[in-house]
Amino acid sequence: MGIAKFGLLVVLIVSLAFLGCAQQESEKVPDKILIGGTLSLSGKYSKEGQMSLWGIQAAKKWVNEVYGGVNVGGKKVKIDFKYYDDESKKEAVQSLVERLITSDKAMFLLAPYSSGLTLAGAPIADKHGVLYMSHGGASDRIFEQGYTYVVQTLSPASEYQTPFLDMIKSIDPSAKKVAFIYEDSEFSKAVIAGAKKHAEELGFEIVIDKTYPPNPTDLTPLLSEVKAAQPDVILGGGHFADGQLLASQMADLKLDAKAISILVAPALPKFYEALGPKAEGICGPGQWEVGVKYSPEAAKKLGIDYFGPTQEEFLALFQEFAGKDVMPSYHAAEAAAAVLAYVKAIETANSLDTEKVRNAMNDLHFMTFFGEWKIDPKTGKQIGHKMVIFQWQGGEKRIVWPPAAANSEPYYPIPTWDEKAAGKLAKK
Amino acid sequence: MPFFDQLAGNLIYGAILGSVYGLSTMGLSLIFGVLRIVNVGHGPFIMLGAFTAFWMFTLFGLAPVASIPLALVLGLALGFVVFFAVIKRLINAPELSTLLATFAIGIFLEETAKFVWGPDHRGFSWDIGNVNLGITLIPYAKILAFISSIIIAYLLYTWFQKTKLGAAVRAVVEDSEGAAACGINVGRIYALSFAIGIGLTVASGVLITLFVPVGINPYMGHEYTLKAFVIAVLGGLASPWGAFYAGFIFGLIENGSYTLLGLIPGVEPFSLTRFVAFTLLLVILLLKPTGLLGGESK
Repeated sequence: MGIAKFGLLVVLIVSLAFLGCAQQESEKVPDKILIGGTLSLSGKYSKEGQMSLWGIQAAKKWVNEVYGGVNVGGKKVKIDFKYYDDESKKEAVQSLVERLITSDKAMFLLAPYSSGLTLAGAPIADKHGVLYMSHGGASDRIFEQGYTYVVQTLSPASEYQTPFLDMIKSIDPSAKKVAFIYEDSEFSKAVIAGAKKHAEELGFEIVIDKTYPPNPTDLTPLLSEVKAAQPDVILGGGHFADGQLLASQMADLKLDAKAISILVAPALPKFYEALGPKAEGICGPGQWEVGVKYSPEAAKKLGIDYFGPTQEEFLALFQEFAGKDVMPSYHAAEAAAAVLAYVKAIETANSLDTEKVRNAMNDLHFMTFFGEWKIDPKTGKQIGHKMVIFQWQGGEKRIVWPPAAANSEPYYPIPTWDEKAAGKLAKK
Repeated sequence: MPFFDQLAGNLIYGAILGSVYGLSTMGLSLIFGVLRIVNVGHGPFIMLGAFTAFWMFTLFGLAPVASIPLALVLGLALGFVVFFAVIKRLINAPELSTLLATFAIGIFLEETAKFVWGPDHRGFSWDIGNVNLGITLIPYAKILAFISSIIIAYLLYTWFQKTKLGAAVRAVVEDSEGAAACGINVGRIYALSFAIGIGLTVASGVLITLFVPVGINPYMGHEYTLKAFVIAVLGGLASPWGAFYAGFIFGLIENGSYTLLGLIPGVEPFSLTRFVAFTLLLVILLLKPTGLLGGESK
């Protein structure tokens, strides 16, 4: 090898090394942090997708304008959000996640709404080693696939009904008999599996554990059986229509219980509109509701940090995007919380490196207006956030549990169907 | 005797539900019997009836029972419109055309309902008390559904058997060419039968809200369409009376089998009731391919 050639090689190696350094330098101080995501802005999840978008926009505005940007590498860096409409379709999610990573160079990703769509994008993000935060996928199954970079901001399905049981236990330790009646579908089965385990731990006696097929038109046979078992507590439901049917037919048979919690259906105002006073006292689990009391003070009491806007600030920011009369659903809150969790984790890691941010998340425990945030380091599943339990009281949906979030006392035992027919409300 | 109490209670509810199923299927059978058209858009007409009851109750406080004649008239009118706009052109068309057309009408009705009323699940509360039979409680609204469906079915039967027009319809069912040769205006009979079929279906939507006053939404018809087809086949497709009896039997089996299946340990009875009902359908069809009241097979 000639000296000239050798010299050239040395120059090449040295310049490459410098180039690498320069690259590292510029990674440390980018102009903006690009978060990417797919949102269902059309198709069957368009309502939820639109809510998520408004929530994300509100959080982004708070981070950039109120908070002044993300503190990373001694600089305040603004965040940017790039998204595509996935049309509520799995195939679209997969190609769009790929596109966000490879062509848009998104540094962090937000998953779409629903467990199914979240599951569709997860393997792609994980393969590319990009963090993928679920803010609308509750299924526990997402976090049982061995993914490293998939983390969760909302409570998993198995946690949906556990606070309700805690609530009963703390109000009335003598309540023993619990009945589970629920739809034979993946989501409700995951919810009830978690609830059953918890009920056994708390010492409840499970007197009925029965499913019904999706889209039932009559639940009377099942409910007659439940009535004969005289449960203290009834838990059940699946989707909206069957939850409504469940409550309506319990009233027909005068199947009384001290407390009733139904999935999904009671969360919507249409539930009360359809059932009227029959809905009084019925509880349901929710990820979040307007009026929950997660605040800097509540965080202080728990000895953890509070991060992000207060609920009032969030409402104001949200309505800048959604319009004055629109109230945020939990879909907006959980999507906003996912953005805030990224910011908090980046600041803790003081880096934009995926590995470092993911590691920082393992030890992160803080509160936003959406509630606590803490993940299981191994699976990425959310273990800090607690479901809230609401109850229909005097025609209003009030948050009754956990005490840190509640704006009303739980009404227990609930009025019987006869009392409700006579006009009694579940209100003190 | 909790077991027998539950079984008896479920059979009573099964009979009530069965009568509603039966009435909702009669329209389907009548249309098939006379026009030889399978109305795959059957469910959406039921949905229209349910919404009629809902709006009449919510807007004007009209008791759902009072909505039955209204729904019948609305259904008749709609039936004539659909017949002259679409069905008339398809009387002798290949089966696939009529299937597609009725399917399209169904989708059109559903999407229009969704556009006008939104996709929400609605409901109302019409409490008029209940009767305590000791073994179970039955709301009067459900008993009214039961009585109404029997009255409507009986009136239709009388009309068919005792009036000239009814005889003409029967003649067309037997042999449309022969009927035409005897001077019966077959086209008119087709229109009338189709309209009556739709009228019955829309009215049965009202009865369904008497049984279950919640879950009223643009797509609610799907569940009833599937059951209506099973019941129609069970009753011998072309026979409205067969359909009514078959509805009863289907309701009794669906609800009654729940208690019996519950005796088997480790079984989820509810998920098996449909299995039992459909198995029974297969067995009946194996033994009597024309259905329960289907007469001789051709």
